[in-house]
Amino acid sequence: MLKLIAPFVILFAAIFAVIASDKPDPPADFTFINRGDVTTLDPQRMSWMQDLRVARLLFEPLVRLDVMTRDYEIVPGVAERWEVSEDFKEYTFHLREDAKWSNGEPVTAQQFVYAWRRALLPETAADYTALFQNIEGATEFFEWRSEQTRQYAVRARDMSADEKLVASQQLWEEALAYFDENVALKALDDRTLTMKLEASTPYWLDLCAFIVFAPVYEPLVSQYEQIDPDTGMVKLRLGWTKPPLLVGNGPFVLENWRFKRSLFLRANPEWWAKDTLDIDTIAIPSVEDANSQVLAFESGSVQWISDVNADYRIQMLADKRAFYDENREEYERLKAEGLDAFAIDAALPDDPRKNIHALAAFGTYWYNFNCLPTLADGRENPFHDARVRRAFAMCIDKQRICDDVMRIGNPVARNMFPPGAIAGYESPAGLKCISDATNEVEKQAIIDEAKALLGEAGYPDPAAMPRIELLFNTDGGHGIIAQQLAKDWEEFLGVRTFLAQKEIKVYKDDLKRHNFMTGRAGWFADYADPTTFLDLNRTGDGNNDRAYSSEVYDGLLDEAKIETDPEKRMKILQEAERLIMEEDLPLVPLFYYVNLYLFDPDEITGISLHPRLQQDIFNVDVIGDGKGREQVKQIWKKDAN
Amino acid sequence: MTGMILRRLLQLPVILLVIYTITLTLSWAIPGNPLEKPEGRQPSPEVIEAMKRQYNLDSFPAFYWSYLSSATGIDYVGDTFSGQRERTREAAQAAGVAPPQDYVFDLGPSLQYNDWNVNEIIATSLPVSVVLGLTAIVIALIIGIGAGVIGAVKPNSFADLSTLIVALIGISMPSFVVGTVLLMLFAVVFPILPVGGWGTIGKIILPATTLSLPFAAYIARLTRMGMIDALSADYIRTARAKGLSEMKVLLKHALKNAFLPVLSYLGPATAYAMTGSFVIEKVFAIPGLGQHFVNGVLNKDLFLIMGVVLIFATMLVLFNLAVDVLYKWVDPRIS
Repeated sequence: MLKLIAPFVILFAAIFAVIASDKPDPPADFTFINRGDVTTLDPQRMSWMQDLRVARLLFEPLVRLDVMTRDYEIVPGVAERWEVSEDFKEYTFHLREDAKWSNGEPVTAQQFVYAWRRALLPETAADYTALFQNIEGATEFFEWRSEQTRQYAVRARDMSADEKLVASQQLWEEALAYFDENVALKALDDRTLTMKLEASTPYWLDLCAFIVFAPVYEPLVSQYEQIDPDTGMVKLRLGWTKPPLLVGNGPFVLENWRFKRSLFLRANPEWWAKDTLDIDTIAIPSVEDANSQVLAFESGSVQWISDVNADYRIQMLADKRAFYDENREEYERLKAEGLDAFAIDAALPDDPRKNIHALAAFGTYWYNFNCLPTLADGRENPFHDARVRRAFAMCIDKQRICDDVMRIGNPVARNMFPPGAIAGYESPAGLKCISDATNEVEKQAIIDEAKALLGEAGYPDPAAMPRIELLFNTDGGHGIIAQQLAKDWEEFLGVRTFLAQKEIKVYKDDLKRHNFMTGRAGWFADYADPTTFLDLNRTGDGNNDRAYSSEVYDGLLDEAKIETDPEKRMKILQEAERLIMEEDLPLVPLFYYVNLYLFDPDEITGISLHPRLQQDIFNVDVIGDGKGREQVKQIWKKDAN
Repeated sequence: MTGMILRRLLQLPVILLVIYTITLTLSWAIPGNPLEKPEGRQPSPEVIEAMKRQYNLDSFPAFYWSYLSSATGIDYVGDTFSGQRERTREAAQAAGVAPPQDYVFDLGPSLQYNDWNVNEIIATSLPVSVVLGLTAIVIALIIGIGAGVIGAVKPNSFADLSTLIVALIGISMPSFVVGTVLLMLFAVVFPILPVGGWGTIGKIILPATTLSLPFAAYIARLTRMGMIDALSADYIRTARAKGLSEMKVLLKHALKNAFLPVLSYLGPATAYAMTGSFVIEKVFAIPGLGQHFVNGVLNKDLFLIMGVVLIFATMLVLFNLAVDVLYKWVDPRIS
């Protein structure tokens, strides 16, 4: 018997040894579940929303957007003041004296140059290189460097190891010299940064506030960069983004990062505005399962879920609507007082249903049309003809998709991005669709018009058209939207359809190689300018999966680029959007995204309900914890003051 | 015995090489570009080209050999003998940069999690999976053997039937249902256990129980059959005739023989409990290794897939070996 038991005793001892050696993080002032797992904390290499959100706590760019204002007012960050030339082409930033890294060293203008140059090196693989290419000479530098390393790789094949070491080092010095000479980004002294832009860019400050424009601590990061003698490229090694090494200049410092488990942050005592913080510690546990996230919230171990995805969220929202109906009078009164949605929720009677919050998001869900004359496999592509695209775009009951499929209150989309989202820009009317019809006669008129368009394009009998393929990826509820869409086209146009469901990587690959007829896609804004969406349809743009190419459209975008009068510029962009949304339809928008938050408005304040969904979590105050100002922070109220 | 262990250990590299070749060929054939992101902003073509050159992703044979030599430690040994490692270290020191990470078995960077390499990922998540799997097996043994013995003592009684039903449920209920129900019950309705995560005993109880149920059910059936067989054997009658207490007869004499089939099941079961916890890791937010099997393939994260597969293949071979050794030790009749 002892023989049988002995192995298990050893096993038990081993299990307990492993558990006992594990030290959990202390409880945090504020705990929230991010949109997903953080993949990188290198500001120049990130593009996922969850990465950006954490980076905003750890780093600080030149300026910041005040996410608690309606128009995302620009407020000072590392720069205390700045000058902008009248044509929006030259910018000078003056850095504040008390801007410090978390190790107490001052933040310098040279470190900005260093960080931005990293973003412009092809080998850094920065997802947002294009944004930095607004700087004069930056595009040329990027292309020159690509070519330089390509040629070097060929030359290096015949070199000895020692020769390579010397030659690769020389190559890098050449690159540095080229950058200094040709890129119009200069540190005049430790505290003055100046740059000249390729074209008039009124939204450049908005970009400078984007966290990928944050500086990195050169003495640390450069230790992890090495010139690879074989390729001549700067090879970035891992390690510096993890505690205790990571040095940042933001409101918080990273104290612990356990892979797929949790991040733990503590207030940065060196941050110049540390007195404005109302919390000291933040924990970000990693919980992937949508149901478990809600359970974690309900058990009280998490205070905010930033993206509620559990299937029963539809029921949660329906309950909330019922709750509003019960309290209609009180709700209207508070709204009239000018309270924002979160403050109204806090003021309404105590009820668990007020925890769920639906936010309109600055993003659009759409279907791409492949605009190439032939498909990837050589078949003829009916969607090459803009009339066919228009006909199909008209014959969609978008309202039904929102009401019956999505059921979380998404607004129907007629434009590439939500109207009213960008200050000073007026969206075009957009193309009509089935859901605009108020009765059967109007509906039939739309269908007839669409069929006539198909007839003009050479398809008098829609049933004889090639089978229409809808490409979408598994998971995420895209299948049911595709089914509804296919049903609409079958019902209204009488075409045959085929649902092509693929794994995400395969789906993405098909989109890239234009191996689809129609396919699901979507986009969220990066910055507050129409070009954040409109550039996607430019000829040759890396994200133009539709292969749409129009001289008129590209011409309008070019025209807007050199226009220095902001008002006229917006008019030109409006015409560009009108062209693709009413005539050419390289894509058909279905609805605007809605994002769901879960938090108790009586307990948490400082979360912004702005549609751009950016959050500065250092604004958060936990009410009743005895720390901070304990005041409700409101988005619209702040505007009024 | 030593001969067997040696022979099996010598087979290990051959098995691993075969697994490596098959897995890499299959993973390479998955459509999609590992450097592209599933959503949103894409790096430009120049960037993708530069990355492909850096990681040898542009050529199958180049990747096959370079990964094989770094993952098996050939690179490490080679660099040590040629003095390359020493030179790199000195160069780093001279240039004032951080010394390079030095792994004997370098499993490469993760293409999905930019800030982590596969060695780090495995080092943090493997202990989690091992502890979770072993705890589940221990729970399964306690429940399974207990239920099996009860069933065997009074076959077809009420107790036997109810353990049979529970076992059936344990086998047929998917773990995401059991897991969520347990979470609802013990974390939300009766808040006695935490919802998820890792690091304390309390956080292991629910996921380990969920994971153990199918194994417990199977062990219960194996034990019950073995016990019924054993209880009708001559030596049990002898033991009873000697006047031994029923307890001693059951646990010391009958169970010892009835346990052998359970023991041979334990090898693959333990390996499976450690690898097959993908769903449970998701439901209970456990940072284990199982999820990387699935996510690695979905993201076409070649380095991660290969690293995880190689580690698990090694573990499986070693585990089966351990069970075989244990088997011989418990029952010397087996050769």
